[in-house]
Amino acid sequence: MKLSKKTITNILAPLVTFLLLFGFWEWAVSHYQLPKWLLPAPSGIIQSMVVNFNDFWPHILITFETVLIGFLIAVPVGILLATLITSNKIISAALSPFVIFLVTTPLVTLIPIMMLFMGFGQKVRIIGVVIQAFSIVNMNTVTGILNVPIIRHELMQTMGSNKFQSLRHMIYPTAIVDIFTGVRLSAIFATTACISAEYVAGNHGLGSQIIKYSQFLKTTESFACIFYVTIIGLFMYGFVAFLQKKVIYWKI
Amino acid sequence: MEELVQKEVQTIPKIVFENINKVFHTRKQTIVAVKDYDMQVDQGDFVSIIGPSGCGKSTLIRMLNGIIQPTSGRMLLDGIPLDTSKPYSQETLRKMGFIFQQPNMLPWYTIRQNITLPLKIFGLDTPEYQEYADELISVTGLQKFADSYPIEASGGALQRAGVVRAMVHKPEILLMDEPFGALDEMLREQLNMELLSIWKRLNITIIFITHNVEEAVLLSNSIYVMATEPGRLVEKVDIDLPRPRSLEMITQPRFVSYTQRLVDLIGSVELRQIK
Repeated sequence: MKLSKKTITNILAPLVTFLLLFGFWEWAVSHYQLPKWLLPAPSGIIQSMVVNFNDFWPHILITFETVLIGFLIAVPVGILLATLITSNKIISAALSPFVIFLVTTPLVTLIPIMMLFMGFGQKVRIIGVVIQAFSIVNMNTVTGILNVPIIRHELMQTMGSNKFQSLRHMIYPTAIVDIFTGVRLSAIFATTACISAEYVAGNHGLGSQIIKYSQFLKTTESFACIFYVTIIGLFMYGFVAFLQKKVIYWKI
Repeated sequence: MEELVQKEVQTIPKIVFENINKVFHTRKQTIVAVKDYDMQVDQGDFVSIIGPSGCGKSTLIRMLNGIIQPTSGRMLLDGIPLDTSKPYSQETLRKMGFIFQQPNMLPWYTIRQNITLPLKIFGLDTPEYQEYADELISVTGLQKFADSYPIEASGGALQRAGVVRAMVHKPEILLMDEPFGALDEMLREQLNMELLSIWKRLNITIIFITHNVEEAVLLSNSIYVMATEPGRLVEKVDIDLPRPRSLEMITQPRFVSYTQRLVDLIGSVELRQIK
């Protein structure tokens, strides 16, 4: 396969930026002789990611699991609720304000309260992820469904299509671009929400480890965990982008 | 007396508009889109409704198809009044096929999938109907586009597909809302001729909306001329030209006199508005 000039630029340009940034970081740390507990060098962080992998692995797994389960619940819940909201004026009036309430309320503020009746387990963290991630899917799906051109509704109307047929053949495919915008954002929200939940709830997951290492001034290990969080976030984002390409096959 | 009754039964019109009114309310004003409209269309007839934009001609067939509801008046299909207080049953809708101004294709389906969508929705997805769809596709020369997505097909092919989609469930009536208005002159003439041959073959009833006088004369048995503000019927003009019609007729004196008369009618309507 021959790579086009554009592809090469698209790969090389961010890579060079990345190397420059890390190079500068590496240089600054040694030049100003910053102590490790304040700011470790990237080389040290990457070394720790490898050397301490066995310590990190169970937490990576837990975090990833929480993010993924929460995300996989949030997406269908968000889409279903949006479908419900847009199908009925009364339901819409009844539910819309609460969805906005959920989007605008930082989830971390709810977790300690949720912990009161749900404990420290993974369940409370998954619910936290769901609450934070579903609302953005919901909001974007509502937008997508409301933006369906009226002429397509009329087309379905001329055939006497029922609600389910309209959803399947026309409404969801029309709204899919907006839905995916929501899903992509929710993938990011899910990761953020999971780490926030782990900060406060329990001692499992990368979030709890970041707190733990920071308390002992083991900043290198802290950063290693943060890098692993980034990798999880990137994976989720890439997963959604991949899915989008597969699902929206008709946009060339 | 009995003979008279017999005759009545035989000549029940396919479509009747009785004193139809449609009023739209916007926040600032009330618009009378259609006022006291009457029309009778017989089985197998080809009728055009012509008039300047905003005269309510599209509104009429949209009401007939149940897309919107009349404010008052009655519409009859095969002599039976349509209940406009609730959405039409699929049984009623199946009698009609609606062709939009734009192709209105769904981009995630191939041309064939778009065309056969009504079969799925109407619950007619049988081998016989699929075969009929294939036949229509080949009659209209859409085979080479059938498995392409709409984005890959030309405007003419898409509009053809829109016509075929409206016919795939074997409706008795075609409602055409300026179907070829967005196409160039040559393609438009070609599609008009194709439409005439399909109409003749299927003995289908057609109501054709247009603002193109020549097109209306070429296609129709009779033309209903409408005016704006309020949208209303001005005159019905019967077109007594022999069939089959061809594009060469456009330059013949009788054809020209019809177009002249219609242009005068529409023109005088607009002049009256200026005063």
